[in-house]
Amino acid sequence: MDTLAEPRQTDTPPPGSSSRRRAAEAAGTVAVFAFAMLFPVLIQNQADIDSAANALSYALLALGLNIVVGFAGLLDLGYAAFFAIGAYAYGILSSWQLTPPWSASWQPLASLGLVARVMQGNAAVVHFTFSFWLMLPLSGLIAAGFGVLFGAPTLRLKGDYLAIVTLGFGEIVPIVVRNWSSLTNGAAGLNGVAAPMLFGHSFGIDATPYYYVGVGLTVLLIFVSIRLRDSRIGRAWMAIREDEVAAHAMGIDRTRTKLLAFAVGAGFAGMTGTYYVAKLQTATPDMFNFNVSVMILVMVVLGGLGSVWGVVVGAMLLQLLQSWFLPDLTGWIHALGRAVGSAGLQSVQLAQASELIFGIILVTMMLYRRDGLIPARRRTPALSLAQQHAEVRRGGITGLGALGAAAAVPGGPLLEIHGITKRFGGLVALKSVDLALTEGDILAVIGPNGSGKSTLFNVITGLSKPDDGGIVFAGRDITGLAAHLVTRAGVARTFQNIRLFPELTVLENVLVGEHCRLRTGPLRAVLRTPGTRREEREAREWAAEVLGIFGNRLLPRLSQPVRELSYANRRRVEIARAIASRPRLLLLDEPTAGMNPAETLELAEQIGSLNRLGLSILLIEHKLDVVTQLAGKVVVLDHGEKIAEGSPREVRQNEQVLRAYLGRSTQVA
Amino acid sequence: MTPSALFLQQVINGLSLGAMYSLLALGFTLVYGILELINFSHFNVFMVGSFIAMWVLQFFGLSGQQVILTGWPLLGVLGAALLITMLATGLLGVGIERFSLRPLRNVPGPVAMITTIGISYILFNVILLTVGAETKNFPNPLPMVKWHVGGAVVELREVLIWAISLVLMLLLQFFVQRSRLGKAMRATAQDPEAARMMGVEVDRVVITAFFLGSALAGAGGMFFGLYYNFTSFLIGYTAGLRAFTAAVLGGIGSVPGAMVGGVMIGLIESLSGQYIAVRWSDVIIFSILVLILVFRPAGLFGRLAPTKS
Repeated sequence: MDTLAEPRQTDTPPPGSSSRRRAAEAAGTVAVFAFAMLFPVLIQNQADIDSAANALSYALLALGLNIVVGFAGLLDLGYAAFFAIGAYAYGILSSWQLTPPWSASWQPLASLGLVARVMQGNAAVVHFTFSFWLMLPLSGLIAAGFGVLFGAPTLRLKGDYLAIVTLGFGEIVPIVVRNWSSLTNGAAGLNGVAAPMLFGHSFGIDATPYYYVGVGLTVLLIFVSIRLRDSRIGRAWMAIREDEVAAHAMGIDRTRTKLLAFAVGAGFAGMTGTYYVAKLQTATPDMFNFNVSVMILVMVVLGGLGSVWGVVVGAMLLQLLQSWFLPDLTGWIHALGRAVGSAGLQSVQLAQASELIFGIILVTMMLYRRDGLIPARRRTPALSLAQQHAEVRRGGITGLGALGAAAAVPGGPLLEIHGITKRFGGLVALKSVDLALTEGDILAVIGPNGSGKSTLFNVITGLSKPDDGGIVFAGRDITGLAAHLVTRAGVARTFQNIRLFPELTVLENVLVGEHCRLRTGPLRAVLRTPGTRREEREAREWAAEVLGIFGNRLLPRLSQPVRELSYANRRRVEIARAIASRPRLLLLDEPTAGMNPAETLELAEQIGSLNRLGLSILLIEHKLDVVTQLAGKVVVLDHGEKIAEGSPREVRQNEQVLRAYLGRSTQVA
Repeated sequence: MTPSALFLQQVINGLSLGAMYSLLALGFTLVYGILELINFSHFNVFMVGSFIAMWVLQFFGLSGQQVILTGWPLLGVLGAALLITMLATGLLGVGIERFSLRPLRNVPGPVAMITTIGISYILFNVILLTVGAETKNFPNPLPMVKWHVGGAVVELREVLIWAISLVLMLLLQFFVQRSRLGKAMRATAQDPEAARMMGVEVDRVVITAFFLGSALAGAGGMFFGLYYNFTSFLIGYTAGLRAFTAAVLGGIGSVPGAMVGGVMIGLIESLSGQYIAVRWSDVIIFSILVLILVFRPAGLFGRLAPTKS
């Protein structure tokens, strides 16, 4: 064991500030909630309560879209389609739209109270009487199902293509609704949708009970959003938003994670659809067109992409603007017009301008305030002077026994590569390369620029598929395996040109590295079961442990976004992120690039310590002294071919290697 | 009409629609090829173009369905209207780029795309609020000359639309392939970084792409009015989406692809309207869009757009 261990507590930021902030936040939440509960009592005006209930349904939609666009960074322009699906699901199952003839097979549903036998003329028909309270979660599930259906084929597209495909779906759904009259009553719309019942009383047309249901749903979805955001799932979403390739390489299943965001967002919209239709008791195809999707997007952008409270505020503000402010302002302008006798002023209709205002808000926010009114991420306080100038301490490795490498048997074969070939069009990047790494060793891959080193890494880690050849890791064939599965199998990597998640903090970056070792799914993340709590606590302890490798370089900066870090520190975070996944094999792509000699030396020692703990390392490095210091064996690539292999000393004297580095025509002096 | 004549008639209709979609699709393709940006404001630049053309024709005293001018004066007025419309929408496109998109050029994520949605909304509502919601009669200055071909009818205005569209597209293709600036555009589309280092003024290339694309959209807007005899603030959205589908179908980023894709979408629209049902046309077109994007994102003829790393 290295003797570099040192206590680290002194570097963590003072705990007081965050707990005080939390208390203020809790007080604010309680105040807002109290106001929301008292609002109908204070206002006593049905029209205003009704507008507020409408505003709440938009807040619900904004919360859902925020998961898709804000958290996962997937621009969904057809979001209103899911709103429509939820609305029609409840509308059809609680109205007279469908009345199939009665038969005995309906009896089980009738005994559950979901359908009723009704005489129409002299024929018995089925009347659907699904309860609002049942349909609320059910519509969420149905819409989520459609989310998966739409999302599954499209989510592997690049972001901007995804936007256009969702726009296409957003068009198709209302057209289908309009044309499928037997199911939806077409353009005329569904009528006579049942109002919710509670304890035998119908909600009827009084706005107040709907308002309270809206408040309840908003509280629920805010809660779900926050729980998801702060979990393993939320981190994975944000990692994908920041850098999809890196997220994939860190063990995140891209498709499933994106699909989950899509489904959760759709589910929110489905529930909202049911709520909205129950309140309106009718549904027409026009309620769900592109304009609705854009309006929800404006709400999310105004409030702040990814900001849970922000999008609620954004939705409220826009709804206030539409239903109160613009009509009032129009009234005032008309009054002014009458006072000065101007017919022009009296004919102003500002309510019509609301969409123009949406457009202006979108453009203005994008140009001048992309974080929205309430940014998702508060500025982290800068490090104090003392923290900045704290003595640089070497890290120590104390508890890294938890590395996957701990179980390793040194001396056995860990990675075997046979005849790997990779072509890009006419260019052969790798030509039948063989390579073997013994467990517990450090193997260095060197070669001039463009010799295929990074391509080799990409092929090993599953980021690109080899055209030929095989890769065996720890006795298992991993050729062509998806990147996240390679990571789960125990191979972690860093990138030559640093691919961190720039907006996430140091701690979050490292926690993303642990993704494939954690189990928490969406449901457990929301419920935050004791198991999840423990897992999360242990994950943080492990992250601190891993970051401890670099002493007090990173620990004081845990809650800083990595884009604010120095170059060398970003390299260190990337290594920590890779180690956090408990690999048996670590692939380092030029880890010391751009570091000064002192930093290089420090990092080389740290890599050496990791190796002495049993971690096998495959290293691409240009600095030959680092290679000599660390690697037992060196492989030299040139133009995609292995031209030499051996100890650093042997390779240095190899004629072919010298020629590759110094030029073909030059005689070595 | 005999079945074959009906088919031929729908092909003729489809070609006219296709010419419009091609012109519009070229704007998507030019901008996407260079900036990898889906420009939603293009939808309504097209719509604004049809209004500008209407106003210019009205300015020359042409309105309604009456044929007032004939011969060279008529061609002169039409030519002037086309040029003025193209210049105006071209400048509109350049203005959009300069003031709302250039500041966001290197911002990652969907920021620039969201901005173009905002711009599109602004254009849409400015026209709605100033011109009004009702459909406007577009002047129909052309004499009603018709030819009968195999039982189907071809009108003079259709032939005119095909001819001018073809000329504009050939000019564009010539410009992109042969001119110095066109070469710079192709270089920038391949690798903006390398192009800049080789001395290409990327800003100029981007402005050119916006100008040309928007000018072609303006021509498309004018043809829309001539073809349907009306214009409205609403026309940008559906036409824009169909044209975008055309660009994707042909391979977004590819100039010939946009032309062919536009014609294909026009044919699909008219034929599916005839043989399936008009109300399902859009579902068919958007399903094609989804299928192409999912299974062949490079389009039928296209190259994959260069990916930013």
